[in-house]
Amino acid sequence: MAKYLTKRILYSIFSVIAVVAIVMIMIYSLLDRNKVFANDSQYSKLSNNQRTTYCYQQWESYGYLDYVPYTDWLTAMVQAGELDEETRSSVASIGRTAENDSEEVAEYVAMFTEYYESQGYTVVRLDAVVAGKKLASGGTQTLFATKDIPLINRIISYFTDLFEFDNINYVEDDVGERGLTFTLYDPLYGGDTFSPAIIGNGTKHKYLLYFDNVFPYVHQNFVNINLGISYSVNSGVDVWQTMTQRQGSFAMRTVTYETGLTESSADNLHTATYLSGSQDATVVNAARYLDNYTNVSTFSAGRSKIGYSFVIGIIATIIAYVLGLPLGVLMARYKDGLLDKIGTMYIIFIIAVPSLAYIFLFKAIGGSVFGLPTTFNMESTSKLYYMLPIISLALPSIGSLMKWMRRYMIDQMNADYVKFARSGGLSETEIFSKHIMKNAAIPIIHGIPGSVLGALTGAIITERVYVVPGAGNLLTTAINAYDNGVIVGVTLFYAVLTVTSIILGDLLMSMVDPRISFTTKDR
Amino acid sequence: MNNNELFEKYDMPVEELFSRVDHNELESEKITAPRYSYWRSVFRVFFKKKANIVALSLLGIIVLLTYFYPVFFEYDKYANVLDAATKHLRPLAAMKLLGYNIHWILGTGASGNSTFDAIWYGARISVSLAFVCALINLTIGVVVGAIWGFSKKVDAVMMNVYNVIANIPYVLMISVLVMLFTASFWTMVFALTVTGWISVAYFIRTQVIIIRDREYNLASKCLGTSTPKIAMKNILPFMTSVIVTLAATEIPSYISYEVFLAYIGMGLTDMSLGRLIYEAESAMVTPGWEFEFWSPVAVSAIIAIVLYVVGQNLGDASDPRTHM
Repeated sequence: MAKYLTKRILYSIFSVIAVVAIVMIMIYSLLDRNKVFANDSQYSKLSNNQRTTYCYQQWESYGYLDYVPYTDWLTAMVQAGELDEETRSSVASIGRTAENDSEEVAEYVAMFTEYYESQGYTVVRLDAVVAGKKLASGGTQTLFATKDIPLINRIISYFTDLFEFDNINYVEDDVGERGLTFTLYDPLYGGDTFSPAIIGNGTKHKYLLYFDNVFPYVHQNFVNINLGISYSVNSGVDVWQTMTQRQGSFAMRTVTYETGLTESSADNLHTATYLSGSQDATVVNAARYLDNYTNVSTFSAGRSKIGYSFVIGIIATIIAYVLGLPLGVLMARYKDGLLDKIGTMYIIFIIAVPSLAYIFLFKAIGGSVFGLPTTFNMESTSKLYYMLPIISLALPSIGSLMKWMRRYMIDQMNADYVKFARSGGLSETEIFSKHIMKNAAIPIIHGIPGSVLGALTGAIITERVYVVPGAGNLLTTAINAYDNGVIVGVTLFYAVLTVTSIILGDLLMSMVDPRISFTTKDR
Repeated sequence: MNNNELFEKYDMPVEELFSRVDHNELESEKITAPRYSYWRSVFRVFFKKKANIVALSLLGIIVLLTYFYPVFFEYDKYANVLDAATKHLRPLAAMKLLGYNIHWILGTGASGNSTFDAIWYGARISVSLAFVCALINLTIGVVVGAIWGFSKKVDAVMMNVYNVIANIPYVLMISVLVMLFTASFWTMVFALTVTGWISVAYFIRTQVIIIRDREYNLASKCLGTSTPKIAMKNILPFMTSVIVTLAATEIPSYISYEVFLAYIGMGLTDMSLGRLIYEAESAMVTPGWEFEFWSPVAVSAIIAIVLYVVGQNLGDASDPRTHM
């Protein structure tokens, strides 16, 4: 079994990597890279050469290419000791056009060009854009070298950077003695409440392990998942964080900072990460912190994107199984009866009608007949806001579960063992509950992990129709905003969930049904 | 009544009850069972149900409206755009203002256009898209699925291909292709079929595996029938009802997909049912404007249901076991 499982997991990892690679090839090689600026306000403000350099800077930060400005090269030379500061400042500013360069500058420009072109870079010189005699807005002359990063390198580095391991040598500054401290009494709770924590110095995160009152109660920062940086959906924030970060207004509480300062604030001090030189940068930080671990995230009142999707999805799934399975069983039990006919009509309705149409129908009926709220409100504590999204998700799954349960039951009803049981004198109820149902439930059980994990990905239409701030909308929002980082991250997330749920489904099925074995050949 | 009278009545010779018949080699070889024609039986079973006749005539009306209505009636979305009074009218108000004819029975839309005309212009594109996509996906899917089910070597490779392709989010695939090319009809067809065939192929593969090793195929193989002949003569007839049933779920699903894609803003640039719904979404909550939103929703639902019901029942009828 263990051998089989290892093989399955390896295959699955391979297929996840293949999926992500295909998606990356599709969006990074086929899509026009200028489209990432479609929703960028900064981009539309800039003009001329400044806009071009901005593009290259952004492309570099999103991994498209390597970009070296002339001035950066000079600074690097100074740091390496090949150039003195005086020469650097005299050759740093290039002329408006190549002809206007002084002899010394021209010499260094030639060196720059030769050095980078020999390494396969393209050297670009943008002459000054002039309007009349003055420089046009953003028209400063620039010189830089650029080289596209091959797609294969990007794919490899995406997977190698996927897990970020925090270590005590993370911080480059001088931070005193590096190391991890284990304490039973978390200093953030006043130092006398029992709460184990591991605190690091020199690490990226200050608290590497801690307990608090937020699900899942114990948190770690040793390994962080890095799905890629969002460009426009949640600018500069990692995709994984975008999905799991709480949303909504600040949840204020009384916070005691390291210096003893007590304030009403939403800061979550457990999330502190290192930010070089930040303690002295502002008066506020100096009053609050004793070190450079000042970059904290905040407590919010709402759930995370995944949180909303999961709450709605899991309740809908439970309702669907609780109602759909018994209904399917009854339909099969009284085949061609009234319930079977009504049920079949409902199933046809769900299968044939576009999902958008019936979700709008549920919304209209729920809103006008039952007076339920039709647009989600994150700030409200009322549970009524969850009602319609849950109903809209549950009703179609009830239909499909009814369909399959009925199908499997009817298939089993003609089996020989049922005829044998009947000839043995068992009552119909006994045959159904003890024999047929157990056999018919096996393929249904296979789908349970899929529906539970599927709740994490959210539902695109439902969430959009009811304006739920969930994860289902993330992929479509990202696609509409050309946010390539999010697209790749979300694809990876989806692929991992699907693959995991198939493996879990197989395992569950082999646990429930002793006849199914994945280890022997003759299955 | 005596015996003689009886004999006369039934035109039998009075003298003897039995007469000798010549033995004929040729006659004795004839099978006297009623003639069986597969397709005639399919239609006999299909038309025996009254509901099917209703559904089929509804389908006929829909096809007429989608394909012939746009041919005979010119539709100009912006014909009334300058007349503010014609915007967002209920059917009665529209007919009072613009004349009592078929164009205005569903009211007017955001630019004073006829909702009824817009629906059938849109339906032409949506229904064509569904049929073209279903045709391509089913053809490729059935051929690939049959090979996939027959060959164990192909199966090993294709299972891995399937695991990879099935994991790529469909929405992503379509939207990247739509972003690359313009969102035209044929781009949409390409996007929906480039990976869409694999789920059909997978379904067919499972069906082929189920019946591939049945006794009658084994017997056929032992008698020396070639594999292509087994596929064509033994398995394909068995698959007909499966394929028709599959088509019945596939075609409405493409209409559904088109509506869904248009709603999330990745649909066709041409006027389709999905685009109509997408553009009229705000009208759903505006009192008095509901008609322009609910009419395309209802029409797409009706088209999909009718196609589904006809397809399902045709699938049932094409199963020879129902021909008894």
